[in-house]
Amino acid sequence: MIRYLIHTAWAHFRQGPILYLLTVFGVALGVASVMGIQIINRSAVGAFRGSIQAISSNADLSVLGKSGPLPETVLPTVLADPGVESAWPVYRLDAQVSADPPFYLEVYGLDLSAPQLRPWSAESAPGQEDAYDLSDALSKPGWIAVSKRLAERMGWEKGSTFQVSQGTRQAELEVGAMVDFERFSPQSSSKLAVMDIAQAQGLLGRRGRVHQVDVRVFTQGRRGAEGGEPREEAGKEVAQRLEDALGPAVEVLSGKEREDQARDLLGAFRLNLTALSLISLFVGLFLIYSSTQASLVRRRQEFGLLRSLGATRRQLLTVILAEAAWLGVLGVALGLPVGYWVASSNLEVVSSTVTNIYLLSEIESLQFPPWLLALAASIGLGGAVLGAWLPALDMSRQDPKDLLVAYTLHERIAHSALGMAALAVLILAGAGGWYVWLGRGWQPSGFVLGVALLAALPLLSPMLVRLSCGRLPLRGFGWGYSLRALGLDLQKTASAVAALSVAVSMLVGITLMIGSFRKTVEVWMEATIQADIYITTPSWRGRRSEASISPDLVESLRSHPTVKAVDRLRSRQTVSGSNRISIAGVDLHLSGKEERFKLLAGDPKEALQAARQGAALISEPLARRSGLGLGDQLEVTVPTGQVELPIAAVYYDYGSERGAALVDWSTYADLFGPGPPSNLALYLRPGLEAEQVVEQLQEEFAATPLFFRSNRNLRQAALQIFDQTFAVVRLLQGMSLLIAACAITLTLLILARERISELALYRALGAARRQILGIYLGKGLGMAVLGLALGWLGGLALAALLIFVINRAYFGWTVQVYWPWSTLAQETAGILLAAVLAAIYPALRASRTPATELNRDEM
Amino acid sequence: MRCRSFAPRRQDAKKRGSGLRVFASWREISVFLLLTVGLLGTEQWRQAQQGYSWSFPQDHWVHPDYRIEWWYFTGHLRANGQERPRFGYQFTFYRVGLLSQAPPFDSDWSTRSLIMGHAAVTDLESGEHRFSELLYRTVPMLGGFDSTSGPRIAWSRAPTGTDGIWELHWNGEAFDFNARDDRQGLAFDLATTPRKPLIFQGPDGYSQKGRGADSSSFYYSFTRLDTRGTLSWDGQFYAVEGQSWMDHEFSSSVLAENQVGWDWFSLQLEDGREIMLYQLRDRSGAADFGRGTIVSAQGETAFIDLTDWTVQPQRHWDSPASGGRYPVQWTLRIPSHNLRLQVVALLDDQENRSRLLPNLDYWEGPVQVTDAQGSPLGRGFVEMTGYGKNSRPPI
Repeated sequence: MIRYLIHTAWAHFRQGPILYLLTVFGVALGVASVMGIQIINRSAVGAFRGSIQAISSNADLSVLGKSGPLPETVLPTVLADPGVESAWPVYRLDAQVSADPPFYLEVYGLDLSAPQLRPWSAESAPGQEDAYDLSDALSKPGWIAVSKRLAERMGWEKGSTFQVSQGTRQAELEVGAMVDFERFSPQSSSKLAVMDIAQAQGLLGRRGRVHQVDVRVFTQGRRGAEGGEPREEAGKEVAQRLEDALGPAVEVLSGKEREDQARDLLGAFRLNLTALSLISLFVGLFLIYSSTQASLVRRRQEFGLLRSLGATRRQLLTVILAEAAWLGVLGVALGLPVGYWVASSNLEVVSSTVTNIYLLSEIESLQFPPWLLALAASIGLGGAVLGAWLPALDMSRQDPKDLLVAYTLHERIAHSALGMAALAVLILAGAGGWYVWLGRGWQPSGFVLGVALLAALPLLSPMLVRLSCGRLPLRGFGWGYSLRALGLDLQKTASAVAALSVAVSMLVGITLMIGSFRKTVEVWMEATIQADIYITTPSWRGRRSEASISPDLVESLRSHPTVKAVDRLRSRQTVSGSNRISIAGVDLHLSGKEERFKLLAGDPKEALQAARQGAALISEPLARRSGLGLGDQLEVTVPTGQVELPIAAVYYDYGSERGAALVDWSTYADLFGPGPPSNLALYLRPGLEAEQVVEQLQEEFAATPLFFRSNRNLRQAALQIFDQTFAVVRLLQGMSLLIAACAITLTLLILARERISELALYRALGAARRQILGIYLGKGLGMAVLGLALGWLGGLALAALLIFVINRAYFGWTVQVYWPWSTLAQETAGILLAAVLAAIYPALRASRTPATELNRDEM
Repeated sequence: MRCRSFAPRRQDAKKRGSGLRVFASWREISVFLLLTVGLLGTEQWRQAQQGYSWSFPQDHWVHPDYRIEWWYFTGHLRANGQERPRFGYQFTFYRVGLLSQAPPFDSDWSTRSLIMGHAAVTDLESGEHRFSELLYRTVPMLGGFDSTSGPRIAWSRAPTGTDGIWELHWNGEAFDFNARDDRQGLAFDLATTPRKPLIFQGPDGYSQKGRGADSSSFYYSFTRLDTRGTLSWDGQFYAVEGQSWMDHEFSSSVLAENQVGWDWFSLQLEDGREIMLYQLRDRSGAADFGRGTIVSAQGETAFIDLTDWTVQPQRHWDSPASGGRYPVQWTLRIPSHNLRLQVVALLDDQENRSRLLPNLDYWEGPVQVTDAQGSPLGRGFVEMTGYGKNSRPPI
């Protein structure tokens, strides 16, 4: 049988190489999209883990501040705990290196004089670069140890100097050592750098603060002390005790827990991508189904012969499935590198999303763990076998005599079209009912509805094709004929139409969702971005960043002749109940603030009045997530413990899906202590042009690391980030469309091949080549129109799901529905064009069918 | 004389490969050795030179211009009014200079030195020796050395795992100090008063440690301090009293290239005399350099050198942990003072093994002094460094 398989595989390829390749490519695309997402996903978490391992691998626990950096005086308390073997402080900052292009250095300030073993101080570190003079590390201003990889890339040597900034503070750093961090943590970032804690605090950071205290627990005397479990157990006890001792503003986490936290942060992001990749896989499965179907139909007689020669049903089934599996293998082999390529070509975009929104470590390298290989194989092989299962079963069950007789299958499908449509309705009704009665409170319920929708859509397609094509009046040998023929070839056309409809509904749904979302954000920015010029520092990296603008600079900007008023902003991440939120302090005393917040609940004037007296405004996502509303109390973790703030309003906010709160500048200082702002907004004197003043300020403050942005410029930049965020989604859309286009080509090729005798007959009866070409193009266009119609229907439903169910559940944003008509029209036209293009090749082939192909048996 | 070894020994240097490697070397060599090699080139420390003008009590406090400094207490304590001493103890604060100038950073971590503390207790009843240690950068929350404006000389957080601090105070006459380590189950809080006045070790407190001009330190002692206080052992408290010996020494010098360690004796004889002597050993085990002081019952000092004495080990003890082979019984002869003494360790295993600084092992413990027939003549303490395979002195 194996010999038979090998023999026939090659024969099939030779008979129709394009069809064969397209099928393989379909599987490959499905595999690739799942792979691409998984690889990126793993790499994002891996990058974070890499940094943890490089710096804290000796630690069992890390003591972290819930609301930003900790006072370093927690260290003695940690050291005093009876379960602690050693503990050391870590100061962490992102410094922007002035290079072309600029990049961030992940700087860790450690006590370099301490004898604790760090991973990179292991016994036999070879290489001269690791060596350094401790007195230099402690005393030479700017001394820093960088990774070997970075030094190589930048052409740095020991003694090389470079300029960095953190907020408006600048420093010249000097490469004091080059450390091979990768040796200890292969996933660690090349931008990892280490300096003495005194230097990190003094040159770029803040005195008296640390970001974490790493702890190694004491396990001597415990049974199996070095084993995993007692160590973990001891760690849990210590963590609990330290949390009790240090109060609610502090959390004590193991490396694994920190990793889980990062994974959680990425959760929403990952879920979206995974769902999308599964949808493309779904479309890919259709392709396999339809091509298997096609190849089986073509080989009916071959199977009939095999059965007549004594092959059992089981053997036949095995042969067919083995062939499908072989297709799957080829698909996996092709899909893996493509998936890797997808991941790597999107690495930068995703990395910037991850660092911009989630503030995790930059992704520098891709990870490809062995289990991913297994996943790819099971997806490709499983998908191929699954796709071939029904047609194979059908074929093996047939009587050999029937197999040897040529006849078309369409009648049976035509009969079952009704049943399939009924099943579709049942699925939709079932899912809808489940959602209304049970699923509403469950976060992922939106995805269940989505899957139900996408499962129902293809089931509806035979009915649609039959209804729309079967009733057409047949006038002459032209378009009408093409469409009637589509209805007759229901089995194949329906699956191509189904594949297209799934792809189109994704396209329409997502386009509608993104378009609405983008427009909503635009409208929101219109209302909230009202200052003329916005200022921050190049090293500011979003809500968790500590880069700040020095008070002197704030004053000199305030007294600048072009400036009427200055609005300051400080922000940080903290914990409220079980939510990690960002909290910002702004000058709410400035006039005209009322209009600057679009409120979902609360009266603008009253809310501002209350906020000036210490109340908080909370964002819509936070309100949805926490269930809090007007008049409730918002619990906020501050360095000294927890406080409760009255909620004065709920405002629209699209800046953070994790939730945000806003308080007055003075309230913020009460909560977290006084400090400099990280961002400024300037209101100019009347009659001044923002762009011109930006240029003027840029010139005046050329020596200071400041970013000036005009109102217009900021909006553009914000939309750019928005588009970047959805770049991955767009890529997946493109892939599923490609799969759908393949489905059309494939279907038409099959039709042309199958109907070869019929075509020959037409030719013999005098049909012109042009007529046959027209019929085939018509068929392609017909399938496209049907797919589009069904897809649009599904797309609208999908958009509603995304906007009103999934978005609310995961992000908590109110997205107003806007119709991106021109984009939708372009896409629709594009699909039609693609369908015609996809039909050209099969049409050409069909039109070239010579009359000599007339075969008596097949008549 | 106590522990002073700054230069890495040649075999270690060879083993570490070329150059100083902090990232590579925490495990291998103590931070102090590193510092030394690292700092020598760039750091300007004041050297101990003859003609120092002493000023007490100020000179009991810190001397930050010298790289290393220590306050060293050892003694024998009777418990709960017993007649014979039950405990031997050691308490030491070391200052390890990192930088001769304070670094210019706006940070509490911007400091010049480390503080290291060692405390050890030998319970002669149970025959157990316990050692406790700490090592911190001198930042305000972890420990440091105070100015002469208050009574405190030095303090530090207790070792990791223990809630508390270690302190050393000047009480107007002598010193009060306390140490605690819950994990080791030991703690003591002792106050001392001098029975005999302060003496200089070496002429005017200038103590030579080698033939080179910069191999020297400033060194003075209280050779007999009446001591009382409390000591806790495994949670049980004892009222203790007895006699202690105190050394204060500061310098910037290093062991000579050929020296690997030393033997140091401090003996309090029943006839009212005290003997201090040290000998620095070379690689062959032979004494390379040595000095000593004999203090009369009236407090007059006589300085002696290697030619004046012989120390003959009689019995050895092998440390299973460090592989060191330490002498634990000696015959000490000082013919010029008509002394022939048997010095016997009260317990063989009195090795202090550091967990913070690998390979930092030394033997330090109470000894008994007898005549050839075994009749008691006095008590004392002995310190021996550089015996283990890789072991090195604490400083």
